[in-house]
Order: sequence, then structure tokens, then C-alpha cells
Amino acid sequence: MISTGAFPYLLGLSAFLFTIGAAGVLIRRNPIVVLMCIELMLNAGNIALIAYGRFLNSVEGQIFAFMVIVVAAAEVVVGLALVTAIFRLGRELDVDDLSEMSE
Amino acid sequence: MLAQAVPIVPLVTPSAKDLLGLLPELILGGGFVVLMLLDLVVPARRRAWLAAFAFLFIAASFGACMWGWFDSGSGRALYFGSIAYDKYAMFINAVLLISAALVVIISPQYLNRRGLHYGEYYALILAATTGMMLLAGAMSLMVIFLAIELLSVSLYILSGFSRHEERSQEAALKYLLLGGFASGFLLFGMALVYGETGHTQLQQIEAALRVSTNVDPLLLAGVILIFIGLAFKASLVPFHTWTPDVYQGAPTSVTTFMSVATKVAAFAVMVRVFTYTFPAVYAHWQAIVFLVAIASMLVGNIAALTQTSVKRMLAYSGIAQAGYILIGVAVSPSEPLGTIGVLYYLAAYAVTNIGAFAVITVMAGRGEDLDSYAGLRGLAYRRPYVAAAMGLFLLSLGGFPPTAGFFGKFFVFAAAIKSGQTSLALWGIATSAVSVFYYLRVALLMYQRPAADQPEYQWSRSTFGGSAVLLATTAGTLVLGILVTLVYSAAAAAQGALLPVAAG
Repeated sequence: MISTGAFPYLLGLSAFLFTIGAAGVLIRRNPIVVLMCIELMLNAGNIALIAYGRFLNSVEGQIFAFMVIVVAAAEVVVGLALVTAIFRLGRELDVDDLSEMSE
Repeated sequence: MLAQAVPIVPLVTPSAKDLLGLLPELILGGGFVVLMLLDLVVPARRRAWLAAFAFLFIAASFGACMWGWFDSGSGRALYFGSIAYDKYAMFINAVLLISAALVVIISPQYLNRRGLHYGEYYALILAATTGMMLLAGAMSLMVIFLAIELLSVSLYILSGFSRHEERSQEAALKYLLLGGFASGFLLFGMALVYGETGHTQLQQIEAALRVSTNVDPLLLAGVILIFIGLAFKASLVPFHTWTPDVYQGAPTSVTTFMSVATKVAAFAVMVRVFTYTFPAVYAHWQAIVFLVAIASMLVGNIAALTQTSVKRMLAYSGIAQAGYILIGVAVSPSEPLGTIGVLYYLAAYAVTNIGAFAVITVMAGRGEDLDSYAGLRGLAYRRPYVAAAMGLFLLSLGGFPPTAGFFGKFFVFAAAIKSGQTSLALWGIATSAVSVFYYLRVALLMYQRPAADQPEYQWSRSTFGGSAVLLATTAGTLVLGILVTLVYSAAAAAQGALLPVAAG
């Protein structure tokens, strides 16, 4: 059982993970790693939702987190399919190289 | 220790009334499933049938919306306060369904020519529209998140629909990565707002904010993060970077759809969340929204000046238009005309922008998309009616009377002036003047003789569907520019019945 005192740490953890994820999206160049960083951001949101839900003694946060897990899975499916499709077209996997169209 | 027992929620089931209120969305969602199954039995040569079926589902859903418009009265909440059944949602639904119907009509011809005629296309259009309609009615953070993801995931796939074309795949991946990034912000913002207010339903959040006296910084962070997430979807500066690439890379018929429908849905939810749920913290989010609106108008209009691709020009013009619409959102907590202006602008933008994109969709030849400015040169001598329609759409986007675009801008700027934000209106008027240059540049190009040494673009022959869509959008642009009261009174009724207010 988590005590109320752990709550700030949980929120801190989720903010920390969110920051790592956001920084990763901006810095990393491999689309698969970028997808993982997006997952990290979504799961940081999940931790915050569940922690708040526990703290507020309401189930809404947990239900929300379940929805997010499903949505995140759907997004990754499409993302990996696209990465595969681009790989088949014979391209290097680097988001900086995805610049067929320019300003 | 926290209390051990989680309160047991009594088992409640939605009533028949809840289901009936959701009828427009249910019809489209059912249409999605039916089309996926039909795709298995319809022979490849007869894929146009799927378009006809999709159109039927959209028409049925539109009928349900019309019924809902009269039935919803002053509005009520469905599913224990999660979804709004009000005139506001029905107004947005009608705009979305008309957009989807127009896109479905021009699609078969375009997709055939590009060799992309797969059945999933129509199913995905219906799925995306369902998500957008749910978003228009969403009254719970959970429904907002799910609806945004439903429309986004469908649009990611549609953007990458041209499987063997690098540009299309690139567009889809960019859209997905940046869209997912935005979802991360949106979700984290929702988690913070939920945590600080204790509720996920907008009505309860609004009530909680109204009674609380001190404003928690975490709550404000949540509000701003939600705004960032929605601003990505509405392609507002500085969250617009994906827009030109995705619009250019995606198949033109898909661009037609998402340039309009995504924006309509994103602004619909933005008004419901920011104007009617967060008015208590208006003083804190006002400045940021103002800045984003001004930045969008400036960056969109200035970047559009230097483009040589029609799709990119329309993408930047869309960013600027989003800035104008955001003026309406920014002033609406203090001025109801702001919300009415947003609704009018969205309707006007929908018909005009679909018209403009429909021209380059239906005129696209067999090989390359009709995208470069050079491809439009001399269009008026070969297809005088199409060129005249395109000219009208460009004038409307530029805000000339008597077209739809003029009154969209007029109401939004009037709302800004009425609420005392004259500087915002002045920014809008000044940047509109800039926009005239690039709209007229394209319009004039169509009336120039093609250069002798340059071969003319091979425009495709007009078809019945394409002509019907151009005729409908032309009529819409003129009706919204001349018979203003028609849509204005509907928008005013929609604003009057917007739900979280009725509950307060």
C-alpha cells in the first residue's frame, strides 16, 4: 500500500519521465527511438493519472490509464507499419533524412 | 494511509436516450465496419460502389444530426455527463459531415487516376469523421483524448495511403511522430487538470474551478499543456511545422479532408474546453492564446508568400486562417460573439478550402499531382468555369466581400473589438492585407497565357462528381457571403445551447 507521503515522488517521477520522453523526441534521430520516447511521454501521463487517482481515491484516473494503454498500442502499430514501409522503399531510417519536401 | 476502500460505483447502464443521442456517430461507426466488410466482396473494378455506400452512411448520419438539432432543445449530457447532445455539437457535426461527403464524392476519380483505389480509404474517412464528431460533443477529458486519437490514427494511415510514394510515407511518419508528441502533451495536461480538480468531466471541472479561490501552478501547467496538444491538431504556430510537409505529401483528396475537418474538430473542442470549462482561469491563458494567434497570422501569411507549390501555399494559408479563428476563441469568454464568429468562420473555411483543394484534386492529371504554380498557368483558357470557381475560393480565403470568408473574418474581428481587444483585430486586418498578395498571385496565374516554350499541364476532364462538388462549394461560398443570417442564426442558436454553460 502506498502512503500519501509517496505521492510527490510519484508525480516527480512522472514529470521526470515526461521530460526525458519530450527531450528524446527532439534529440533522437531514429524513428523507432522517437516512437519509444512518445511511449515514454504517454506512460508518464499514465503514472500521473494513476497516482492522482490513488491520491484522490477516485477510479477515473485508472480507467483513463487503461484507455491510454490501448490508444498507445494502436499508435505504435501504425508507426511501426510506416517505418517498415519506408524501410522497404530503401531508405535509411533517420528522421533528418526525411526531407523529400523542403521549404 | 489513504482510505482503503475505493467507493463502489453502482452498476449503471446507459439508457436508450443516450444511444439515440449518439445516433449520428453510431451510424458512421457502423458504416466503418460495414465498409470494411463490403470491401471484401466488392470486386476491385467496382470500388466506386464503396464511395456510394460511404456517401449513404454520411447522408444518414446527417439526417440524424438534423433530427438531433431539433430534438436536443437546450441541450443535455449523455452517458453521465461524458458527451454533449446540444445544438453546438450538431452544428459542428453538420459541417464535418458535409466536408466528408464532398471529399468522398471527388475521391474515386482521383484515387483511380493515382492507382490508389483501395476500399479502406472510405472506411478510414468514416472512422476519422466519427472521431471528429465525438470530439465536437466531448464533455470528458477521456472522450476528448479517445476522439482525438481515433481521428489522428485514421488520418496517419490516410496520409500514407500512397504506399509506393516516398513523399506520402514521409508525410505519414512525420504526422505520426509529431501527432504522438502532441498527444503526450495533451495527456499530461489532462492528468494534471484531473489531479488538481479531481474530475475528468468538463462540467465538474468547471464547477470545481469556479469555487476554488487560489490557482495552483500545476493546474495552469495542465491547461497550457492541453492547449499545446490541441494547437498541434489545429496547426497553430509554433506547433505548425508538420503542416506543409504533411499537406504536400499526402494524397490531395486526403489533404482536402484533413485540412478542413481536423481544424473544425480541433477548434470545436478548443471552444468547449477553454471558453466554457476554463473561464475561471481566463486571465492566465488569455495572453498565451493571444500570442499564438498573432504568431500564426504572421508566420502563416508571410511564409505563404514565397511558396511555389499550391498545396504548401494552402497549408500556410490554413495556418494563418487558424490564427484568425483563434482570435474568436481568445475573446469568447468575455464575448459570446466570439464563439458565434468561430462557428461561422469554421463553416465558411470548410466550404471555401474544400473548394480550393477540390480544384487541384479533380484537375490533377494522370502522372504528377497538380501542385506547382506552373501547373495552374492558363487554366482559365481551358477550363474557364473551374478557374472562375478557384478565383472565387481564393477571394473568399483572402476575405473579400461578398464571399463566405469576408463574414467569417468580420464576425471574429467584430468580437475582438467588442471585447476591447482592438489590437488583435488590427493584427488580423493587417495580415489579411498581406494574404491578398499570394491569393491573387495564384488567381492571376490562371488567367495568364502559358509560355510558348513550356508545355501546358495536362488537366483531366471534368467529371460529374467533380463538377457537382465545385458547384456545391461555389454555391456555399456565395450563400455564406450573401445570405448571412441563414448560418449566423444557426451559429447563434448553437452558441446559445452550448452545454457546460447550461449546467452552470
